[in-house]
Amino acid sequence: MDRIQLAFRWVLLSFLLVGVGVASADEANQTWGQLTESQRQVLNPLASEWDTLRPWQREKMLDIARDYPKMSPEKQGLVKKRLTNWSRMTPYERENARKRHQQFKALPDDKKRELRQKWNEYQKLPESERAKLRAESPETYGDSGIE
Amino acid sequence: MNMHKDNMTNTKNTNLIDDSVISDPVMEEQIARGISDLLNNRAQHLKPELEQRLSAARNAAVNHLAEQQAQYSTANQVAGHGHVLRWFGHAGQNFEQHRVASTALIVVVMLLTFFAVQQFGSTHNLENSDAFLLASDLPPEAYADKGFDAWIESN
Repeated sequence: MDRIQLAFRWVLLSFLLVGVGVASADEANQTWGQLTESQRQVLNPLASEWDTLRPWQREKMLDIARDYPKMSPEKQGLVKKRLTNWSRMTPYERENARKRHQQFKALPDDKKRELRQKWNEYQKLPESERAKLRAESPETYGDSGIE
Repeated sequence: MNMHKDNMTNTKNTNLIDDSVISDPVMEEQIARGISDLLNNRAQHLKPELEQRLSAARNAAVNHLAEQQAQYSTANQVAGHGHVLRWFGHAGQNFEQHRVASTALIVVVMLLTFFAVQQFGSTHNLENSDAFLLASDLPPEAYADKGFDAWIESN
């Protein structure tokens, strides 16, 4: 009797966990029209390409929409502005960006300021020169830039 | 006939006993033996109806004791299913009997734990989410641009 009861509890728990997983997968398969109004507002820059995104890409974007209301209006503006470029980056580039962002957060304030300044200077370089720098750089992302 | 006489004598002796005699330990023991003998002798000559009543009373007493022991054993078995239930005393025993409620409670506790862990995890990882990366001081391209790394190194 105890074994039956124990098995029943495990089966019930498994059903619940599977249910949570299925609900999460369903969310990632939603088309643009199926998103909520608040999700559409945040992800508006991606409206035209949303239905072409892969489920795992949509899932990441929906995570951004979920965290968006917790941010200040200034940061919300930055997210909207940068969202399109972010969605066009490859998974490899995004993963590296996440790692570098973690390193950047750990830097002291003066180093962060210095890097912001250098990024602005880098942006002023001609596109041809930046392309050349990219082409000459190895595929792997080193840690030298943010240290 | 002799035995009957002895009994009569014992009865007379017993009637003659006063408090001063009982206070003597030796006499007290003799009196106790006399009472015991008297009872034993009388017990040999009980009427069948009386024997039957005594037997029925004995069986009733034994059955009552057996029932009490069975109840005690069941209570211990219930507590043995989970010592936590014992903390609730009788309520715990009743709770064990309601197996559906017990199962439901366990499932609810597990679910609450699951969602609490999820909530804690999401709060903990909030600052590491992609949304906060996008709102960072540097744009995501800066983190992903290999040329920027190379340019910093060369400068």
